[in-house]
Amino acid sequence: MKRAAWYLVAGTVAGFAGVVVLHGRGAPAAQPAAAGTGGGAGPAQAGQAGSSAGPSPASQPSQPARSSPAAAGGPAHGATGATEQFGYGKLAVKVTVSGSRVVNVTVPVLQTLDPTSQQISEQAIPMLKSEVMAADGAQINGVSGATFTSQAYVNSVQAALDKLHLK
Amino acid sequence: MPAPTDPGPDGPALVTHAETAMGTVFSLSVVPGRLTGQDLRSALGAACATLHHADAVFSTWDRQSPVSRLRRGEAVPGDLPSEVAQVMAECQAASQASGGWFDPWAMPGGFDPTGLVKGWAVERALAVLRGSGIAAAMVNGGGDLAAFGSPAPGRRWRVGIRHPWRAGSLAGIIEVGAAVATSGSYERGPHLIDPASGLASGRAASATVTGPSLAMADALATAVAVGGDEALAVVGGVGGYAAYLIRPDGSETGTGGITFMS
Repeated sequence: MKRAAWYLVAGTVAGFAGVVVLHGRGAPAAQPAAAGTGGGAGPAQAGQAGSSAGPSPASQPSQPARSSPAAAGGPAHGATGATEQFGYGKLAVKVTVSGSRVVNVTVPVLQTLDPTSQQISEQAIPMLKSEVMAADGAQINGVSGATFTSQAYVNSVQAALDKLHLK
Repeated sequence: MPAPTDPGPDGPALVTHAETAMGTVFSLSVVPGRLTGQDLRSALGAACATLHHADAVFSTWDRQSPVSRLRRGEAVPGDLPSEVAQVMAECQAASQASGGWFDPWAMPGGFDPTGLVKGWAVERALAVLRGSGIAAAMVNGGGDLAAFGSPAPGRRWRVGIRHPWRAGSLAGIIEVGAAVATSGSYERGPHLIDPASGLASGRAASATVTGPSLAMADALATAVAVGGDEALAVVGGVGGYAAYLIRPDGSETGTGGITFMS
């Protein structure tokens, strides 16, 4: 399994393009309340968060959709969910496939609820003994997890997978 | 409306249909095989009809549903659709297999088969698809999956297990021959009730069970999510089933029998 760098790219949707980088336990706690560059602060706004961490993992551009397919398997196409509750905030997931292979998974939207939530997730995540696997690069037909509501489905990885075969 | 997609380089195209029922979304992924056009739509429609029927019979939210009448003592199983007695029997079997960690009769408000009935409904829908002549199918009921056949020649269905704290990441990937269910509180909050105390349990972040029957796997996943390591030990003794537990502190354990893909 590949160790997934935990990077999140926020803000493609509404036109503001801040980048939130959460990089393991070494990174300073990003302040989700930090205002975006455009003013007009609101609780839902995931503005640019401090990422003074030097070697941040390759921050994805805000429009990662057309990543090159891993193999010459036809054009990649992607589907993005909206914003989903993930327990300590909200995020959206984008899945890009080439053929039936998932070639990229990005998180174009992240909103954490408050600094405490962020602390919790940063504490909890490194304690996992096994390596976390990004869906990026995985060939999967479905996702097993705790039952989501029909509202949460809309923005889930499963929904993104489904969209690839829906007509 | 579902329709075939272009065959990809990796095999025959899957067709997916998403159906809202039972408060969640069911994803039906099929390899149509010889079924095309109206036949395919009919098969998917019939499978979805079983889901809505199960919803109507077993909804604990609808106060007029058969199971709600049963819960209030207004009806006995013999008065109700035959599925009620079937599900009660499966609940009984699962309760015994789980050592009582899954106990629909100990839930607040009376008999509540929620921890099993979604998996049961998925199996019913899958049986309809199988009977229709579809070559292969996987049905995902809000995170609990059952499948038959192969998604592509020489392949098995591959299922990611959602990471409990990272919605876009996986705790692992497994190949599924029949059924896999996962239970946890990270999607809908604390709803996993300890039958002994009547209170929400916090012994697991995520509990996954594989095995031949999704109804049983669903119930056993609920049991492990409620009972943590104690329930895991019980499930480890249930023939044909295997379990994988992520504890609230992020540490992991399992019964063996689940192989993660790399």
